[in-house]
Amino acid sequence: MIFDRPTSGELIKAVMDFLDTKIKDELPPHLAFKLRITNNVLGMVQREIEQGETLQQEVYDAMQNLMHSDELTTKKLAELIKDGKIDLKDEDLKDLLVLLSKNKIEVDNPNYSTYKKLIK
Amino acid sequence: MQEELASALSKKLLEVGIEGKVSNLEPLTGGASKEIWKFEVSKDKQSTKMILRRGSGIEGPLAIKTADEARIQKEVIKVGAPVPTILAVSKNEEELGDSYIMNFVEGESIARKILRDKEYKKALPVLAYQCGEAIARIHNVDVDNFSFLPKKPAEDQLEDLYSTYQSFEQPSPVFEYAYLWLKKQDFSNFQESLVHGDFRLGNIIVNGEGLQSIIDWELAHIGNPLQDLGWVCGNSWRFGKSDKVVGGFGELEDLLEGYNSISKLKVNKEMVKCWQVFGTFRWGVICLIQAYAHLSGTINSIEKAAIGRRVSETEIDIVDLLFLGGE
Repeated sequence: MIFDRPTSGELIKAVMDFLDTKIKDELPPHLAFKLRITNNVLGMVQREIEQGETLQQEVYDAMQNLMHSDELTTKKLAELIKDGKIDLKDEDLKDLLVLLSKNKIEVDNPNYSTYKKLIK
Repeated sequence: MQEELASALSKKLLEVGIEGKVSNLEPLTGGASKEIWKFEVSKDKQSTKMILRRGSGIEGPLAIKTADEARIQKEVIKVGAPVPTILAVSKNEEELGDSYIMNFVEGESIARKILRDKEYKKALPVLAYQCGEAIARIHNVDVDNFSFLPKKPAEDQLEDLYSTYQSFEQPSPVFEYAYLWLKKQDFSNFQESLVHGDFRLGNIIVNGEGLQSIIDWELAHIGNPLQDLGWVCGNSWRFGKSDKVVGGFGELEDLLEGYNSISKLKVNKEMVKCWQVFGTFRWGVICLIQAYAHLSGTINSIEKAAIGRRVSETEIDIVDLLFLGGE
């Protein structure tokens, strides 16, 4: 890494804090609503930068055990399901789909109710 | 710009015999694809609040014309369904564009406020039953009066949703699984009905007493009435209150009790489950449609960009419903 701190994640966090503390209260309601979305988006980017690689690797490791293929991608997994190459009743497949979904939502929206329920 | 809009509104209202000065135009947070304006019309010190709902001219592939939404509401109000009174309708080529003017209904439509604020505390326990009654009235109407609406049987919708999803070339293992699972379900047992298509908090107006109005008819069609019941029971529309299966506010038993008190078709809990999965998959595909409207450059919008990352919410809900005993 040739870049200095703040890291990209830390920079985004600084922008989020600025929007939240200095800008939010200045806006009329319909723009305040858009600012909330903007902050959510920045949060996703921050989490993807900071945790994305680990979360992705976990899924690839689980794929390795189930898919007998050189290509470990969600695209390939989707194709195997579609073409009936994996039994839909296969418990490992179900576990993999749960893991994939959990790891995606951990970046996209870790406050999502179903995610919070499942990690309890 | 607001002056021009005010003058166009006055002109339109005059056409239907409503005279007065238009003032206090205020944009409201509406659906992602429609403009909503609240305004007042005053004459002789009397003032009436109204709403303009206007299409952007660029509708999603699932939406009907804004003016057709008005046609539906004019019909369903006759059978006692709670909807705003339509005052005037404008065609696309007119100055106001594809839009309509309706009376302003006092109350709240923002889901999080309804679920959180004290004012609605007494309304929430009765809301599921009221919603059941209201949607049953809508499902009971004679479909022959709605020949201008598209017919969308479940099987056709499923194929449409799947091919729409495929067109974005972003394969989802969970969606592939859901599609194969849904294809095995039996959707045949029903009578063709008017389906609202987006019946949930956000699209209903609630006050301290409960349900006041059902709004936002852009996804209306003729199809299976259970679709509306499964939709409002999807976790996507519980706004974080996932223990309340109906819209984050009520119990399924209450919704069905209200529904069955009016409906010709009697519905039980088991019939709703596959429609929850269907609804969740449908919402996932709608998220994709919205996100790709942004990505293709058709509309540049932070909301639409953000919604692309809500697809994963529908994926986790699908695996929860199918594998983990989610309700």
